[in-house]
Amino acid sequence: MSGGLPGPSPNERPHPDGRRNSQGVRIDPAVEAEPEPRRAVLSATVKHEPGVLAAVSGLFSRRQFNIESLTVGPTEEENRARITLVIEEPEPGIEQAKKQLEKLIPVVSVTELETDATQRELALIKVEGDKPDQVQSVAEMYGGEAVDVSQDTVTVEITGSRQKVEAAVETFHRFEILEVVRTGTAALERGAEETR
Amino acid sequence: MSEQVPPTTQTEAEAAAEDADAEEVAASSAGTGAASVVTALENAGVEYLFGVQGGAIMPVYDALYDSDLNHVTMAHEQGAAHAADAYGIVSGDPGVCLATSGPGATNLVTGIADASMDSDPMVALTGQVPTDLVGNDAFQETDTTGVTDPITKTNYFASDEDTVGDVVGEAFAVADEGRQGPTLVDLPKDVTQAETDRDPGEAETSDTYNPPEEADEAAVEAAADAISAAEKPVILAGGGVIKGEATDELRAFAREYEIPVITTMPGIGAYPEDDDLSLEVAGMHGTGYANMAITHCDVLLGIGTRFDDRLTGGVDSFAPEAEVVHVDIDPAEVSKNVHADYPLIGDAGRVIDQLDDELDRRPDPSDRYAEWRDEVQAWKSEYPMDYATPDDEPLKPQFVVEVLDEATGDDTVVTTGVGQHQMWAFQFWNYTEPRTWVSSHGLGTMGYGLPAAIGARLAADDDQSVVCFEGDGSFLMTIQELSVAVRENMDITVAVLNNEYVGMVRQWQDGFFEGRRMASEYSWCPDFAKLAEAFGARGFTVADYDGVEEAVEAAVDYDGPAVIDFHIDPEENVFPMVPSSGKNGRFALQAEHLEQL
Repeated sequence: MSGGLPGPSPNERPHPDGRRNSQGVRIDPAVEAEPEPRRAVLSATVKHEPGVLAAVSGLFSRRQFNIESLTVGPTEEENRARITLVIEEPEPGIEQAKKQLEKLIPVVSVTELETDATQRELALIKVEGDKPDQVQSVAEMYGGEAVDVSQDTVTVEITGSRQKVEAAVETFHRFEILEVVRTGTAALERGAEETR
Repeated sequence: MSEQVPPTTQTEAEAAAEDADAEEVAASSAGTGAASVVTALENAGVEYLFGVQGGAIMPVYDALYDSDLNHVTMAHEQGAAHAADAYGIVSGDPGVCLATSGPGATNLVTGIADASMDSDPMVALTGQVPTDLVGNDAFQETDTTGVTDPITKTNYFASDEDTVGDVVGEAFAVADEGRQGPTLVDLPKDVTQAETDRDPGEAETSDTYNPPEEADEAAVEAAADAISAAEKPVILAGGGVIKGEATDELRAFAREYEIPVITTMPGIGAYPEDDDLSLEVAGMHGTGYANMAITHCDVLLGIGTRFDDRLTGGVDSFAPEAEVVHVDIDPAEVSKNVHADYPLIGDAGRVIDQLDDELDRRPDPSDRYAEWRDEVQAWKSEYPMDYATPDDEPLKPQFVVEVLDEATGDDTVVTTGVGQHQMWAFQFWNYTEPRTWVSSHGLGTMGYGLPAAIGARLAADDDQSVVCFEGDGSFLMTIQELSVAVRENMDITVAVLNNEYVGMVRQWQDGFFEGRRMASEYSWCPDFAKLAEAFGARGFTVADYDGVEEAVEAAVDYDGPAVIDFHIDPEENVFPMVPSSGKNGRFALQAEHLEQL
């Protein structure tokens, strides 16, 4: 390689001792620790117009945010929809996800919900129909009910927290599960606090 | 047409004439969606559009027929996007590009992505197949809003002729306000052809878009405390300083507190490079002194910069001892790559004023920085940008850049392609004014230089020179736009720093791939001087030091496009160099230094 400039070589220069971690935060190398990912529920109010869901899901995919679930639906306001996103990221990533979401023009506002917010998922579980009574009683144990019964199948509906729905699905395995469909998390703040 | 059977009876002839009349009426675009689009462009103060005709955009072009707007037909839609982008950089107002559906729109994509990465204000208007064909894989149909979603600030599918003008107005406002960037409006042919009697209203951004203005007062106080407590502060001025029209505020602030100033590449021109406080550019090919200062500073005041990886190198070693004050109008840029100890979200000029007011209430810290300034000045002498011109080696590109700088005015606009020539063009040219450096930074688009020079030429004042630096590989990518410069008789000097390689790739192959020069050798390029003449431009070839000044003088004096093909040292490399993810403070000054990294 030809060309070059005068001056001391890299080894002849002073170098500082400090360091940053992969999130760009200055650290004490002695106590260095990468932040652990945590689960966060983000609620975004968006304009109810075509393309918004694609814009949001595209954003999360291209910026490599780990997304656990995404649900969308209309709200009390006619021209607004609410998107509930559950993500799992280390702390700076959650903040970054919020800010990137807020930056989308059709997004009105974004909040991270409190950990005690009301969170619900729904599952429809279709099992073999040979023990309909037992299926019904297990469904009732989870506060659910059979919503469709045929010659060969029973379909039950379970609503609740993610843990409860997961436990229910686990339990129904004893009846030979044929098909399961689950929604993502829908969530609202508790009490008078608004989910903005 | 020749096979058309002539009407045989009187009545048929009359009917045909009537049809022709009817078509005549339908051909006028007054009172259509397209006319509304043009009105919105006029309302936005647009003077120039860059585009290429085509099926689905024809109604808009037809409406332009009756308008005073100047349309510049480009040879390729990518050229239209780059020209609009450069027009936006030089003028500060969104540049406009226009293309038809399908390939027209996809050809714009590179230029839109380029504008997005560099936050350049731009509005792209694309034709689309008629609404009832959308989704049917119709002729020249592409999901343009889908394709461009990740590379626009926002985009619009205009579905209603009554509001299409308002949508174009909003696209302008969004491209221009806050952190600038590209927007796109997709215009289905039936919408632009449909009749409407509604004129577009005043251009407004969406009510959900409210860029911040002033930074939080408490945050400003804390940042001012940090700056006034600093021993070794540095300002890092990014492209946001120029885009936010905060150059005056930055210069006054740096001079008042006597703080050394580094710029990013898009920030070139924010601070005069011949000023004592200037350290020029930091990063991968930045100056040694800028990289030393950014590595050893204790407070880093970043303004309008996104801390791109080509600037920071490996983030673990970036300004490792510095508290970071980050001023940016886009909250999402703050603590994205480098953690901001003091986030100041707001307009660059306003926040600099806020910081200035706060610092005025504290004892003047500038004397305390004196030792640091001396240290920085010593680095300037220790790591000078001095290159050798040995007799036994061919023409050095650095020399060519310096001669062109000498031969042209201080307000000359420089555009570049991407590669080694781009680095030499910023390292060895002395920039003193904002909006005189027009380049492709974030996307690194080879071929950007020539179409950018066309856009820059129309945005610049007539007495400003426009010089375009290109490499041989880069120039070949968009060389067809020379036909546009000739047609419009544009006064542009193109300097091709021709080393018969895609030189930056060759440099990396030599440095990091054991010299295995796979697909980087470009000796097969055409004779650029002859090609320039074939296009109708002036062409020169220079292969030694003796010919440089004469050719430069002739090309700069020529009132029209001129191309000088400089045959430079094919083995010359760009230094300083911080390898990808390397440590800024360990920049290589010579090839041998790479082994120490």
